[in-house]
Amino acid sequence: MEIAIALFFSTLRQATPLLLTALGGLFSERSGVVNIALEGMILFGAAAAAITVNRLEVATGGQVAFWIPWVGLLAGALMGGLVGLIHAVAAIRYRADQIVTGTAINIAALGAPSIVLQVLYNNTSTSQEVVNRLPNVSLGPGSVSVLVIFAFLLVPLVWWVLFKTPWGLRLRAVGEHPEAAETMGVNVIRMRYTAVILSGVLAGIAGAYLSIGFLNQFIRAMSAGAGFIALAALIFGKWHPLGVLGATLLFGFAQALAIQLQGGDILPATLVQAIPFILTMLVLAGFIGRSRPPAAVGKPYDK
Amino acid sequence: MSRLLFLLGSGLVLLIMIFSPWAVPMREFDGTGYLLNPLGPINPQGLALPEGLSFPWLGPLFGLWVLLIAAAGGVYFLPDPEARARGLYLLGALGLALFAAGALLFYQGVGAANEAALAAGARRPPLRRFALSLGLYAGLFYALALLLLARMQRPGGLAFLVRLRGVVVPVVALLLAVVVGGVVVAILRPGLGTEGDGGLREFIAGKLDLVTYTFQILFSPLLSLPGLFNSLAFATPLIFTGLAVAFGFRAGLFNIGAPGQLTLGALCAMLVGVYLPLPGFLLLPAAILAAALGGALWGGIVGWLKARFGANEVINTIMMNYIAASLLLFMLAANEYRFFGYTVRLPFKAEGFEGRSEEMQEGARIPLMIHILAPQNTFSWALPLAVVAGVLAYYGLRRLDLGRRLLLSGGAAGLGFVLGGWLPGFPVEISSALASQLLNGSFLIAVLALLFYNFYLFRTTGGYELRATGLAPRAAEYAGVNLKRKMVLAMLISGGLAGLAATHYVLGAGMDGTYRLKTALPASVGFDGIAVALMGQNTPLGIFLSATLFGVLLAGGVSLNAQLGISNQIIQVLQALIILFIAVGGLLPRYFTDPLRAAQVETEAKQARG
Repeated sequence: MEIAIALFFSTLRQATPLLLTALGGLFSERSGVVNIALEGMILFGAAAAAITVNRLEVATGGQVAFWIPWVGLLAGALMGGLVGLIHAVAAIRYRADQIVTGTAINIAALGAPSIVLQVLYNNTSTSQEVVNRLPNVSLGPGSVSVLVIFAFLLVPLVWWVLFKTPWGLRLRAVGEHPEAAETMGVNVIRMRYTAVILSGVLAGIAGAYLSIGFLNQFIRAMSAGAGFIALAALIFGKWHPLGVLGATLLFGFAQALAIQLQGGDILPATLVQAIPFILTMLVLAGFIGRSRPPAAVGKPYDK
Repeated sequence: MSRLLFLLGSGLVLLIMIFSPWAVPMREFDGTGYLLNPLGPINPQGLALPEGLSFPWLGPLFGLWVLLIAAAGGVYFLPDPEARARGLYLLGALGLALFAAGALLFYQGVGAANEAALAAGARRPPLRRFALSLGLYAGLFYALALLLLARMQRPGGLAFLVRLRGVVVPVVALLLAVVVGGVVVAILRPGLGTEGDGGLREFIAGKLDLVTYTFQILFSPLLSLPGLFNSLAFATPLIFTGLAVAFGFRAGLFNIGAPGQLTLGALCAMLVGVYLPLPGFLLLPAAILAAALGGALWGGIVGWLKARFGANEVINTIMMNYIAASLLLFMLAANEYRFFGYTVRLPFKAEGFEGRSEEMQEGARIPLMIHILAPQNTFSWALPLAVVAGVLAYYGLRRLDLGRRLLLSGGAAGLGFVLGGWLPGFPVEISSALASQLLNGSFLIAVLALLFYNFYLFRTTGGYELRATGLAPRAAEYAGVNLKRKMVLAMLISGGLAGLAATHYVLGAGMDGTYRLKTALPASVGFDGIAVALMGQNTPLGIFLSATLFGVLLAGGVSLNAQLGISNQIIQVLQALIILFIAVGGLLPRYFTDPLRAAQVETEAKQARG
């Protein structure tokens, strides 16, 4: 029983960054822009959040203050949005190959934080630990970060926005048939910019969750593939918020299991760590049903 | 619009000339220097130049540049394009002459001061670290830009530029990345030796000097033979992974899986190189083949999944990267594992704290390049003669059909190798710096891989079909190409090329000079292959040049870290910026990136000429 409870909370924690990122990716891909840069957006957001909190702590003399982590969260979200804007400008304004620009952002996310870390802390791989973490919320036998609650509340919200509001209808139209949407008076370009920036903001929040909600520092490449798994969850979840929820819970469970198994003598941890990735490949190979992407995804739009 | 841009650009060059150092006759090891500037030297650390050394030409040269830039501004507003072109050509040539004169006068002044000091009994020349700097470089670039603009004024100028777009886009992307990278460095680091409260001029000069010095260090490996060897050692795995990515691109596949394919290649090469009991002359070929097969397996799985189930290769290659990393850790991080309560012992990890394999058998080791070129400090004719004989035969036998031509030129190369090995060489002196570079025979395999890439894609039917598949899959299918089989084959070869990068790291001891596989295998080199392929526009020569460029930057990055304490991660950021800028076509107009629009420009130019 105790193990089951631990596994449950661990699953929630592991699924949260995936869920936030995948919901963000949902907006981007539903608008017709592939976002393989999610991994890099998480890392940029995580670094911005941890460094902001650390700088604020230094400025205020290392005290604990309720507002500091929230400013850090904001910084992570803004940084994610900024990276989203770069991806959007490249993909929409300059019609670049979306996978190539996304890869460039991912490579930059491995190098750029290290340079800043070295200037600030004389250390290229980690930031200093912070004491102002995002607050936890007690949930019966355990407690989780407030961002976990936020992520799960976001699922019905995204569902409602996508399927019950005029804006959501337009967004889906832009991703399926931009020419038709344009004829109906929808501003395709602005829709896509909004969606990609929004996906960056959510990935940035996921990053902030990793650095100041889950741990208390930024570590180089700490996302460890979360952005890519989120992307896979998006495909697995058939570009639908509820499907995404199910897929991220599954992947979160696999990761939680890997952590639980590390102490025991059932399977070596190095092998269990590969399970989420093998699972993703099985999913992609269609063993669990086909999913159809938005028709215009990956195609630059010409007026 | 273009006039406004021209005036802005000219003004920017003038500002750079006013504020930046023109040359640095003396630099300390920590980077602080004595900066020459036409408005007076900038010397925040109070360094003393040798007695009597002055640079009186600096002021007049600056005056000439101001005149030249003003004249260019005037010429650009002439109404007749032919007169504009002539004027710009003239001014561009004058600018080149001014740059050359400045460089010559500077080096002469420094040389004279050093000779005078040595003649006066100094044991070492007082000025050892000196270089031109941004002010003079800005003039050089301005003169080149004037020449280019002059060409643009003539009819068909734009079409000329568009025809060269395979070069223009990467070069512009590189320049943009250098500018952005420079801004990053300038923001993050205090200027060299200007932490004090000097004026604005000192501050700006210090920042500009820092940026210039940073890039001078980054490109410094080009100036020495050990540096060049070191750069090529960094470039060798990049050639393989660049070819792997480019091969995928040509077939319309985006292979982000080179890190995983490299890892698997390394594992297979290690297994064969350490454990397979073969005689020496068979062991090395077997190990090289194993590296290629390991990578091919990892790529082929993805290709098969795509052909059979339509599974997206981008996501799958990324997943395979993580699985390969787990596998490497599993095999080399520990000896004992517990499976469901049972203990399993693995033999692969060698004794010791570090996660590493046993040493390769003697026969599986690829020697250092310097030992191939000059075994026992004696220059050997074997390799040069083999290359010359092979190339001569290939171009001399143009009348034969391809198969015989290849066979005969291969035979000629072998004959040249034997003959060259038999010829007496001559003794050469190899400096210890050169002997310690990790460039090994894997570089030759990389060159062969480049030749294979060129040959397969552009000289065989299979390669033609592969390129057709990448350009227009539907059309290729109607023409009778089996798309699914091509997909699997493309990923097999692409993965095999990435796997061969392991020959450098494992069999050639390119990682750190030991013939072992370690868990610290730099697999992310596979990602850098994307930058290499994009920058090289998927052509063999382009890939070789861009891999060498990145090799130079990586080698320079090590010195940068050592000398200025700037993290060599800046190289990774530069690579990312180059990829980004190439992807957006260097921010150039659409006719540089869109082949249809490019053709339109050329047609219009032809019509205008009549």
